[in-house]
Amino acid sequence: MSTGKPSANAISGSHPFAARRSMNQLTNKLFTGIVWLIGICTILFIIALLYTILQKGLPQLDWGFLYGEPSEIEEGGGIGPVLFNSFYVLFISLIISIPLGMASGIYLAEFAPANKFIAFIRICVEGLASVPSIIFGLFGIVLFVESLDLGLTVIGAAISLAFLNLPVLTRVTEEAIRSVPQEMKQASFALGSTHLQTIRRVLIPVALNGIITGICLVAGRAFGESAVIILTGGVTSSGVMWDFNPLDPGATLAVHLWYVQSEAIVPDARLIAEKSAAVLVFIVLMINIVFRVPMWLNARKMR
Amino acid sequence: MKTKWFRNLGLAVMALSLTFGSVSAVSASSKLSGRIVINGSSALLPLTLQASNEFKKLNPKVKISASAAGSVTGPQSVRKGIADIGACDWDASTSVPGFAAFSGQVANKVAVIPFAAVTNGSVGVSSLSTSDLQGIFSGKITNWKDVGGKDAKIVVVNRAFGSGTRVNFQLKALNGTDFMTKGDNYKEVKSSGDMKTAIETTPGAIGYIDLVYVSGSKMKAVSINNVAPTEANVINGTYKVWSYGYYMTKGQPTGAVKAFIDYVQSSKFQNGSLKKLKFIPLAAMKK
Amino acid sequence: MSMMEVPNLGTVYSGEELGRSLEGSSGKAFSRRARLSFYNRTFKIVCIASAVFVCLILFSILLLMGRTGILTFETVSLKTFFFSTEWVPENEQYGAFIFIFGTIALTLLTMVISVPLSLIIAIFLSEMTPAWLKNALRPVLDLLVGIPSVVYGFLGMTVLIPMLRSVTGTTLGDGILAAAIVLTIMVLPTISRITDDSIVAVPKKFRDASYALGSTRFQTVVRVVIPAAKSGIMYAVILGMARALGETMAVVMVIGNTPQLADALFKPTSVLTSNIVMQIPNVPFDSAWNYALYMMGFILLVISLIMIVVVRAIQGRGVKS
Repeated sequence: MSTGKPSANAISGSHPFAARRSMNQLTNKLFTGIVWLIGICTILFIIALLYTILQKGLPQLDWGFLYGEPSEIEEGGGIGPVLFNSFYVLFISLIISIPLGMASGIYLAEFAPANKFIAFIRICVEGLASVPSIIFGLFGIVLFVESLDLGLTVIGAAISLAFLNLPVLTRVTEEAIRSVPQEMKQASFALGSTHLQTIRRVLIPVALNGIITGICLVAGRAFGESAVIILTGGVTSSGVMWDFNPLDPGATLAVHLWYVQSEAIVPDARLIAEKSAAVLVFIVLMINIVFRVPMWLNARKMR
Repeated sequence: MKTKWFRNLGLAVMALSLTFGSVSAVSASSKLSGRIVINGSSALLPLTLQASNEFKKLNPKVKISASAAGSVTGPQSVRKGIADIGACDWDASTSVPGFAAFSGQVANKVAVIPFAAVTNGSVGVSSLSTSDLQGIFSGKITNWKDVGGKDAKIVVVNRAFGSGTRVNFQLKALNGTDFMTKGDNYKEVKSSGDMKTAIETTPGAIGYIDLVYVSGSKMKAVSINNVAPTEANVINGTYKVWSYGYYMTKGQPTGAVKAFIDYVQSSKFQNGSLKKLKFIPLAAMKK
Repeated sequence: MSMMEVPNLGTVYSGEELGRSLEGSSGKAFSRRARLSFYNRTFKIVCIASAVFVCLILFSILLLMGRTGILTFETVSLKTFFFSTEWVPENEQYGAFIFIFGTIALTLLTMVISVPLSLIIAIFLSEMTPAWLKNALRPVLDLLVGIPSVVYGFLGMTVLIPMLRSVTGTTLGDGILAAAIVLTIMVLPTISRITDDSIVAVPKKFRDASYALGSTRFQTVVRVVIPAAKSGIMYAVILGMARALGETMAVVMVIGNTPQLADALFKPTSVLTSNIVMQIPNVPFDSAWNYALYMMGFILLVISLIMIVVVRAIQGRGVKS
């Protein structure tokens, strides 16, 4: 695995290679330049993107907007109940998907023999990851609205969302556990731990960083997901704050954003959309930071 | 078959709501309870949401969940028994182009919805005749100068086939003429909001939308045959491009569902919130 | 350490009771061993059950889509469905070729733009930036994944398309180029972050060996680091491709939604996902139209499964050699 043709650098000052060497230096400089250029462009682009989203909405935020009830007629409607629903739906869906996703990830990484069947399961998991969210929505309708006749509910939205998140969590857990050095595992076994103890005390703590990154990605995606929830949770909320009934309608902030952008006729619809988008992005940012704090602590402890 | 099972379920739900209904008929209306699921037209969604907010305050024990996809979803969900009310932009108990009638369903009128042909603000055309509109939307007229505007290409923005707004616009503004379906200057959008954005940001664009959404200077509602799309013209009968919005129910509504529809049709709601939402009250048309 | 509790959720009862049992287990060694092995077996079964459950979801979805979709062929011939370019529900014509072609073309175009770009960004992140910039950039890239697709679509419609229109002078601007640019922005964080992780995972000794032989940074990255990280990069590409294939809400706002073949970059066209989401709300349940839309959903799943198998096969061969 080394460079096919040894470069001339090593034999410094030797004339026959001088031309080649300067060529190499040139391509290298060019390469470094391009990478830096694109890297900096990307940073600028991301800043511009976040600025466009946040700049219109964030300065105009106030508590009344975050806590208030949505209004159909008058200006100044808030997002209170849908914001609450967002967290509630996310919470339930994570409660369901994290254990299931982690367990199946652990199975793939630790127990599964390397045969055709497992390769098949792995393809299934990746296949599920590529299922468009609208199809999860249709699936959710058949399951919760038609078969169980629950109507459009928080619980239906949360479970459909959990299905959407499962494959990513499974894969991320598998990758994270696989990347734990073999030595650590063997040391644990050598000390007489059972497989379960090894997984619980060694593998998961070490792989936690990767798993948390995965949870962040999943939580962010779930928070911004609208197609699934429009179909399974509806576009209404119960209209009051702190409503924990899982059978109430489950519109989330992302759904409300979709609704305001596509159908609402309140005069300040555009403003509400901008503010909602800003709140959404801000919360995803917060999720990313809050989830990472234990990760940094963990990293320090591991050191 | 599965459908049979659904029908049985629907019957059971109906029986259940009947019992609820009879109970609630005895007690005061504030003790009304039950669950109402509403699905269907997205154009009626703001009205439904507002009405359900008000209704829930009066009857805290009634749970209303509303969602919206497209007009035809409404009567279909009612038929399947997964919704109690199906909001629809046309009378789904009769057949319209592309959709068969839903037998056994009752259409409850709830509002009058005016539609308008709209152009990008820069186009500079203020009135179009029916034949102009037919020519433009069928793709035969491709430049604004042919209908009295400046020399600019026309971009036609359409709603997807099956949209209630499209059904009504085709019937009432184009007299049933077919839309164009292809071309470099033709696109379809998914919702009224997308229509608004597309018209506002595309130079030379024309489309159509519920009159409610027309605001600002980036989008302009044009007169049709020199009649301006205003509430007054709809009421006095000169502006023809409007339709009723309907709540479809399975049979005559009962119980909480009936109470909800009654509330929406009450003069309090019709002359209050419904008017504020810029729909036209039903009573205005009965003259 | 509340976060430490999260991983235990999968084994709530077994895990906690195990802890307790260890504390009070000085006495009966034999029963303790039996119990431990019981927990081990239970845990393994729970894990297997979860993995099978994940597969079950995929199969129920495939079954749901396939069962409804297959009814299409009662009224539409296979040949018409797959090779006709006429999609006119008004006249009961259901040829899905335009959408299948559009989906493949859009995905390829997105990959052509996004893979090289993401690769360079990943190299930038992992090999060139100072540590503080890495720590700042990585969470921000992760954040981009969480921006709702509706927001991307809206920005595409209001910022990107007018820009494309003024740069190229086309009348409309909608089409696969606009969609590919929006998708590129959406998959960029996914591909570059996973690639970044796999490049970081390449052992330092590889790089040291390469530099010791006198390679420049360019040579080291291109000839040593990237080949060594190939499996991870492939995985990143699969995930990105899957996201591009399945993305709906953003694509539908910029692609134009017109059933015509995407033979030019700026021609309004339609892909499988956008056509499904445009038409499914307006479709009568028991119609060939509805069945055809479900069939298209089924095809979408099959296309992504095939792509995954193909990429896996390529990757498998790469690992062996």
